[in-house]
Amino acid sequence: MGAQKRMTPGVFVVLAILGIAFVALPLAGLIQRTPWSRAADVLTSESSLTALRLSIVVATSAAVLSLVLGFPLAWGLSRSSFPGRTVVRGLVILPLVMPPVVGGVALLSVFGRRGFLGAALYDAFGVQLTFTTPAAVLAAAFVSLPLAVLALEAGLRSLDPRLEDAAATLGGSRWYVLRRVTLPLLTPQIAAGLVLCWARALGEFGATITFAGNLQGRTQTLPLAVFERLQTDPDGAIALSLLLVAVSLAVIVGLRGRFLAAR
Amino acid sequence: MRRALAGLACLALFVPACGGSVSERSEITVLAAASLTAAFTKIGVNFERATPDVTVRFSFGPSDGLATQILEGAPADVFAPASPKYMDQVRSDGPGVTEQVDFARNTLAVIVPSGNPAHIESVDDLARPGVKLVLAAVGVPAGDYAREILGNAGIQKEALANVVSNEEDVKGVVQKVLLGEADAGIVYRTDITPDISAKVREIAIPDGVNVIATYPIAVIDGSSHTPAATAFIRYVAGPGQTTLRSFGFLPPS
Repeated sequence: MGAQKRMTPGVFVVLAILGIAFVALPLAGLIQRTPWSRAADVLTSESSLTALRLSIVVATSAAVLSLVLGFPLAWGLSRSSFPGRTVVRGLVILPLVMPPVVGGVALLSVFGRRGFLGAALYDAFGVQLTFTTPAAVLAAAFVSLPLAVLALEAGLRSLDPRLEDAAATLGGSRWYVLRRVTLPLLTPQIAAGLVLCWARALGEFGATITFAGNLQGRTQTLPLAVFERLQTDPDGAIALSLLLVAVSLAVIVGLRGRFLAAR
Repeated sequence: MRRALAGLACLALFVPACGGSVSERSEITVLAAASLTAAFTKIGVNFERATPDVTVRFSFGPSDGLATQILEGAPADVFAPASPKYMDQVRSDGPGVTEQVDFARNTLAVIVPSGNPAHIESVDDLARPGVKLVLAAVGVPAGDYAREILGNAGIQKEALANVVSNEEDVKGVVQKVLLGEADAGIVYRTDITPDISAKVREIAIPDGVNVIATYPIAVIDGSSHTPAATAFIRYVAGPGQTTLRSFGFLPPS
């Protein structure tokens, strides 16, 4: 009975093909419209390389920040029960479903020059976060933190607690157990969280342009560069877009063990 | 929605009275410079009132971006950029235009947030190191005009070194100053609308340094509603002038 092969309904086949086309056609359109003769010039232009470099710095910093803040959060959410845990989890995941431009406005209201933390920072030290690279990192971390928490929490829950218990029984201190048992066991989830956060941060647009602005070399990441170029040079914008698609593809291939494996 | 309901009620109750106007109703799409947002929205309401069988839909944005959309084949009937440059582009590289007429002019101003944190009192102050200046991006008419003004004032190099963000369109510049994040921005005088005039301060740009922006309007060739589109253009150049004046636009030369 268990070996009996299930029939796939015909209507599913049709819808599935439509689903594939829905994703594949826009990508094919992008490739078809790429001005290959100009692509090399566009991709190696000073502005593109500057945007690429900045994007890598911003996405990497945001992914690391998300992991550093996300690990203790995931730990608390998976291993302790405290009142309002559901609320905290909902709150942490909110940026994932929130429109990014709203995230940008929210960040302005806290870290902007007139925001309640930003104003204090400005009055005390004359420091303004808006329009700086750290602002772009904050915007990217804001939207990628939920992915870190989700990946790490799932990992912590699936961990066999007896392994940690055994290590503790044998005299390992809490830090020793964390460093030598918990973290090594979590390596796949940490790697997955890092890559997911990095990819999400790389694509960040709405919160960045709202909170950090758009300046070459400082806050103009690749998606902002694509958007600016689209106003005057759509072909060049398409060539740049292809670069982002290629990077995203590399991420999926890198994660193939998690997403592409049939279970 | 309300219009649709009214239309239904009209159909149900007064079919003879409505005559053919319901079926002949045409909807035109107007692509207009971001700086025209407030004035054109008002003109659109008045035009629809005066011409009940035409509905106007607006898409406001940076003129360079709108021109690109037209070149890419976006369905549009009327184009009103903030610079003749983009009308020329649509005429030479795109579908072409007809019925072109200049309908307004505009000048620019420096705006600073209330409290004037960087103590800007003149255009020359924009060259002072540390001033956080926001402009529209290069290619956006307001951005190009702003750079021209900084050149006229002889401070282009110093002021451009102070730029902290190149905004997608002129409304983005207004927003960053309004929020108090930027110390100064260069916008059209008409962008200082009654809604925001209490929250920003205008620093006038001297006539010898300022530039005058000319706004052309035209029907895009290939429009399937040429009569309605032409009617809208005539309205903008005629009765709409009062509205444009009330929003601070100068008459065409």
